[in-house]
Amino acid sequence: MTPVQQHPLRKILEDRIAIIDGAMGTTIRTYGMQEADIRGERFKDAPKDLLNNGDIFSLTQPAMICDIHRSFLEAGADIIETNTFGATSISQSEFFVDDPREHGGRKDPEFYQKIIDDRFLNDLAWEINERSAQQCREWADRVANDTGRQRFVAGAIGPLTVSLSNSPDADDPGFRVVTFDQVKTAYMQQTRALIAGGSDVLLVETIFDSLNAKAALVAIQEVFEQDGNILPIMISAAVGRGGETMISAQTTEAFWNAVEHVRPLSVGLNCSIGPDLMYPFLSELSEKSDVAVSCYPNAGLPNPLSETGFDLKPADMGRFLGQFGGEGLINIAGGCCGNTPEHIAAIARALEGIAPRRFGATAADKKEVTA
Amino acid sequence: MSVADRDPLAASLKSTDRTTERPLRLSGSQAFTQQPGVYIMIGERTNVAGSPKFAKLIKESKYEEAVSVARQQVENGANVIDICMDEGMIDGVAAMTRFLLLLASEPEVAKVPFMVDSSKWEVIEAGLKCLQGKGIVNSISLKEGEEKFRQNASTVLKYGAAVVVMAFDEQGQAATYEDKIRICERAYRILVDEVGFAPQDIIFDPNILTVATGMEEHNNYGVDFINATRWIKQNLPHAKVSGGVSNISFSFRGNNKVREAIHSAFLYHAIGAGMDMGIVNAGMLEVYEEIEPELKVLVEDVLLNRRPDATERLVDFGEALKASGAGNSVTEKKTEEWRLGRVEDRLSHALVKGIDTYIVEDTEEARVKLGRPLDVIEGPLMAGMGVVGDLFGAGKMFLPQVVKSARVMKKAVAHLTPFMEEEKAALAAAGIEVKAQGKIVLATVKGDVHDIGKNIVGVVLACNNYEVIDMGVMVPAEKILERAKTEKADMIGLSGLITPSLDEMVHVAREMERQGFKLPLLVGGATTSRTHTAVKIAPHYSQPVVHVLDASRAVPVTTSLLSVESKQAFIEQHQAEYESLRRAHASPKQSTVSLATARERRTPIEWCSKDLPVPSSPGVHELQEFPLATLREFIDWTPFFHTWGLKGVYPRILDDERQGIEARKLLADGHAMLDRIIAEKMVTARAVYGFFPASAVGDDVELYTDEARTTVLDRFHFLRQQANREGSEPCRSLSDFIAPKETGLPDHIGAFAVTAGIGMKEVCERFRADNDDYSAIMVEALTDRLAEAFAECLHKRVRDELGYGLEENLTPAQLIEERYRGIRPAPGYPACPDHTEKGTIWRLLDVEARTGMQITESFAMWPGSSVSGIYFSHPQSRYFSLGKIDRDQVEDYHTRKGMSMAEVERWLAPNLNYEPS
Repeated sequence: MTPVQQHPLRKILEDRIAIIDGAMGTTIRTYGMQEADIRGERFKDAPKDLLNNGDIFSLTQPAMICDIHRSFLEAGADIIETNTFGATSISQSEFFVDDPREHGGRKDPEFYQKIIDDRFLNDLAWEINERSAQQCREWADRVANDTGRQRFVAGAIGPLTVSLSNSPDADDPGFRVVTFDQVKTAYMQQTRALIAGGSDVLLVETIFDSLNAKAALVAIQEVFEQDGNILPIMISAAVGRGGETMISAQTTEAFWNAVEHVRPLSVGLNCSIGPDLMYPFLSELSEKSDVAVSCYPNAGLPNPLSETGFDLKPADMGRFLGQFGGEGLINIAGGCCGNTPEHIAAIARALEGIAPRRFGATAADKKEVTA
Repeated sequence: MSVADRDPLAASLKSTDRTTERPLRLSGSQAFTQQPGVYIMIGERTNVAGSPKFAKLIKESKYEEAVSVARQQVENGANVIDICMDEGMIDGVAAMTRFLLLLASEPEVAKVPFMVDSSKWEVIEAGLKCLQGKGIVNSISLKEGEEKFRQNASTVLKYGAAVVVMAFDEQGQAATYEDKIRICERAYRILVDEVGFAPQDIIFDPNILTVATGMEEHNNYGVDFINATRWIKQNLPHAKVSGGVSNISFSFRGNNKVREAIHSAFLYHAIGAGMDMGIVNAGMLEVYEEIEPELKVLVEDVLLNRRPDATERLVDFGEALKASGAGNSVTEKKTEEWRLGRVEDRLSHALVKGIDTYIVEDTEEARVKLGRPLDVIEGPLMAGMGVVGDLFGAGKMFLPQVVKSARVMKKAVAHLTPFMEEEKAALAAAGIEVKAQGKIVLATVKGDVHDIGKNIVGVVLACNNYEVIDMGVMVPAEKILERAKTEKADMIGLSGLITPSLDEMVHVAREMERQGFKLPLLVGGATTSRTHTAVKIAPHYSQPVVHVLDASRAVPVTTSLLSVESKQAFIEQHQAEYESLRRAHASPKQSTVSLATARERRTPIEWCSKDLPVPSSPGVHELQEFPLATLREFIDWTPFFHTWGLKGVYPRILDDERQGIEARKLLADGHAMLDRIIAEKMVTARAVYGFFPASAVGDDVELYTDEARTTVLDRFHFLRQQANREGSEPCRSLSDFIAPKETGLPDHIGAFAVTAGIGMKEVCERFRADNDDYSAIMVEALTDRLAEAFAECLHKRVRDELGYGLEENLTPAQLIEERYRGIRPAPGYPACPDHTEKGTIWRLLDVEARTGMQITESFAMWPGSSVSGIYFSHPQSRYFSLGKIDRDQVEDYHTRKGMSMAEVERWLAPNLNYEPS
C-alpha cells in the first residue's frame, strides 16, 4: 500500500481540482427500473419492496450500474464512488427484516445485535461492497487506459439508518436504538469488503451524525491495524442551514476538530443544502482545515416537482462550483443528489484550468515562513 | 503504527514562545480553540470524587439533577467539563455511558468538550464511545510501563481526543522537579515520535501536591510544580500543562477563605509559568488582585517556599480568621437575570434555551395567572415553541435543541395535565363531552427506510402530550390505514426521505379517500415540499393534507387541527394557501429580467413642464350628495349585463339574436329601478379627491405637504413589470408617469375615492324582507354602475380642473372607451395589484371621516359600490398589467414598504414568478 502522503491522488489534489461523480439514485431513476428489475431471479421472493434499495442493483443489474459508472467517468470524474451507501447489515436490515414497531415492539440494541449477527445480512452486505468495488475498479481502469488519465475508486461508507446521537424515546433522552460497538462492527465489515473489492480510498460521507461517523472512523482504523492495510480516508459531512451536521448538530469547525486526528486525505461537505447555502460553511472549513477540501453538494434544494427532484441544472452547478474553485476553496468537486452525468460534465468543464486550494505541507511551510 | 502522519514540525521545534505554540483545539457540538494566554476553565462538579453531592445523585440514579449540575458548570463559564464516575459503589462503565448520552441530548451542555476522567481504562473507552466531538482523556501514565502507555495512547488517538498525561512512571508519582520533567519528557517522546500524537493534544499533569502539611519535604511542592511547568513549556513544543488545583490547599480544608486565596495565588504563578488549564471549582476562586494584601503575602510565602516558618504563619492567620467567623467563602451565587422577567417571557426563555429547572414553578404561575391550563399551553407555551420553530427555520437552532425544547415542554404539559383532567371531569359532570388528547399514527411509507427525522417528530409530539403510534419504516398503505382505524387515531403522519416516496404518499392519500377517511393527513420528510403536497397529494384526498416542514412545525399544525376553536379557521386558511400554490404552479413561469435591468427599461419619457398640469384648486375636496341623475349619463352598461350573465357589448347586445329580447327587458327593468333610486334618493353618492405635489423617487412616488416640496407627506409604492419582452416594449411602472425628482420639474399626483353605495344595504334588505330578491340584486348591480360612473364623471371633472379636459370634447361613449389623457388606476388592479396601497389613499384624503367609506382588514372597501384610485396626468401615462415579478423585486418592495416578505408575498401571490418558501 502506498502511504497516504505519497498517494497519487494526493499529488493530483495539489496540482488540480479533481472531479468526483454525481448521484447514483437520481441517475438510476432515469433508467425506469421497476421492482421486478431490482429483484431479478435472486430476490424474487424477498418479503419487502426492494426498489429503493439501490445498492442491490449492483448485484441484480450490474450492466446498468456499470453504465452509470462509465457515464460519470466519461463526464470527467477522476473519482467514482461505489454503490454502497446503504451496504451494511444495519441498513440492509430495513429491507429484509420485519420492523418490530409495526407490532408495537421497538428497535433497541437487542434487536440490532441480532442484525449484526445475522448471517444472511452479513453475507449480503459483504457481497454488495465487494462486487460494487470490483465493478468500479474495472471501469475506472478501463476508462483510465482509454484516456490515459488515472481514475480512482472511493469505497462509499454512508451514514446508516440509525443515529448514535438521538433518542427516539420521548421519555428517555439517554436511550439509543443501537450501540457504538454494533455500529462499529457493521462498518468494519463494510470497510474490509470495500478494500477486498479494490477501492483506492475510503469515503465516509453524508455525515449527519458525527458519532456515527466516529464509529466508522474507528472501524476503519481498527481494520487498518488488524489487517495491516492503510488507505487514504476522505470525510464529508452533510450540514443544515446553520452549518451543523443535521442530526447531531455539530458545527463545521467542531466537526473538523473531531475528525482531524485521522489525518484524512480530504475533508468536505456534500449532499444537504445545495451549493449556495453551503458556501459559508465550505469557506469556513477551507480556512480551518489543513488537508484537501472536497465539495459535492446536491443540485440545490429538493424540488419534488422538477425532473431530477432538485432545483439546479448542470449549468447552475458548473457556475457555483466554478466560483468555489475560483476562490481557491476546493480540491475536489462533484455533485450529490440530483446530479446526473451532465451535471458532472458541466462541473468538470467549469473547473478546467482552475488552480486547486493550497493545503498541507506547501501551505503550512508558507505560513511558518511568513509568521 | 497508527494511521496518523508523523509530525515533522514538532521534532524540529526546539523551543516555543507562546506566539508560535499551536493552541489546543477541542470540540463538543461547537468548536473550542485555546486562546493565547487565556486559562482554560475545567468544571469539576461532575466528578464523583470531588463532589459528594454529585456522587449521591449518581448513586441514587437521579440523572436528571446530575445533568443540571453539568449545565450549571457550563453556565458558570466552564470551557470543558470533567466527568468522573470512579467510586466503589458506582458501575463506572454504565454510569459514564448513561450520563454522557444524556448530556448529548442537552444542547446547552453538549456544546462544550467533555473530559472523560477515570483511572479505569474500560470506563475511559466507554466514555470515548459517546463523544461526537474531540474531548480530553484524563488520564494515562507510564505507571504500568511503556507498552500499556503506548497502547492506551493509540486508543485515545484512534477516537480523536486530547490526553492528560500524569507525571507517573513505573517507580511512582513524580514529586520533585527533576522527576517531573524526566517523566514528562519521556512520555512526550513516546507520544510524538512513536504513537504519532499531535503535540498540542498532550496535556501534562506534573502533579500538584499538597503544601503546608507540616512536613518540610512538602514545602517546595508548589515551586517544583511551577518550575516543571516552565520547563515543559520551554522544552516540549506545543505541549500543555494542567493540574488539579484544589489539592494544593488540602491542609486548609474547612477554611474556604484561605483556600480560595491559595488557589488564586497558585494559579497566578503557575499560569505565569505557562500552565494552560486546571481542574478547579470556579466557585472556589478569589480574584488575585482582591486577596487581602496580608493574606496574599502569607499565602505566597507558602506557595513559593520563601521562608521556613511560612506554613506556621499561614496556619495561625487561618485559625484567627476562623475564630472571627470570616473563614467563609466570598463568592456568592448570582441570580440569573432572565428570572426577573414576566412569566410569559420566562416560559419562552426556558423553552428556547431548553432549561427545565424552573419550568414547573413558572408553568404553575402562568396557570394561576391565566386561569385555565389549556390557556397556558395554547398561549405562552405554544408561543415559545413558535419562537423555537422560527429559530430552527432560520438555521439558528438545531434539531437537538428543538428536541430539548420539546422535552421542557413535556414537563410543563405534565404539570398541567392533572388540572386539565380535573377540568375535564368537571365538564363531563356538567354533561359536556370532552375530547381526549390527540392520537397520531406515524409511518415512513413503503419503499423508504429513513426514519430518524420522523422519530424526532414523534418525540416532539409525544412531549406535547400526543399519543404517538410509530409504525416504523417501509409501512404499506393498507397497514397504516388499518392501524389508524383500530387505534381511532386523530391524524396520520407520513414521512419519506427519498424521491420515490412521494408517489407512495399520493397512493396513501388516494386510499384514504377511497376508504372514506375523515382524518387530516400530515406529510413530511426531506424531499417533500409544500407545493408538491398542494399540487400532487392534496387533490387526491378531500380532507386537509398538510405539509409539515420540520419537527419544530409539527405541534402548531396538529394543535390547530385538533382544536375545537381554531380548526375551521386553520383549515380555511390552509386550503386558500394551497389553492394559490396550485395556481402559481399551474401558471407557466415567465422569463424575466432582473429588477435592475427592468429599471433601465423604464418608460422613456422626455420630461417638459408643458406636460405637467398644475391643479387649479389644490388640496382635498369633497362632494356630498352628488346628483345621481348626472351619474346616469356616465354609466357603462356592458358590465351591467355581465352581472346578469348576459355576455355581450352594449348597445349591440340589445339586437343580439339569442339574448336581445332578454337584454332589452333587463335594461328596461334597470332604467325603471334607476328612476326609483333617483326619485326616492335610495342611495347617496359621495366623493373625495385631491392633488398633491409629487416626484418619482425610484419606483416610489413621494408626496409633499406643499409646493415647497421639502416635507414628505406620504409615499406610493409601485411595482415594475419584469417580464422579458420582445422588442422595445418598456418594463412599465406607474412611477414612470410622474416626473422624477432629479428632473426638478414640479409634478402632481391625485387620488380619489367615490361611493354610490351609502344606503344601499338598507334598501336591499327591505327588498329581501319582501322576498323580492330580484329587485335587491338589481339595486346592487345599479349602484355598482353608479359608482363606476361616478369615478368616470369625477375623472372628467378633474381633467377639466387641470385644464386639458376642457379641450377633450368627447361623447359619453368615447369617455367610456377612455379616449382621454390621463389614467386613474386602482390599487388591487393589474397595474398596481397591491391592495394595501389603498391605505395610503385613505390616509391622504381622510376618506373615512369625509365620506364614511371604510377599508376592511383585507383592504376591501365598505360599503360595496365604491371605487378608489390614483390620478396620473402625463400624456404618456397608460394602463398596463404588471404580470409576473421575481424575488429580487419582492425583496426590494418589502424593504421600501417596510412590510415583511411573507406579507408581501401573500398580497402579491398571483404575481409571483417563484414559489415563496
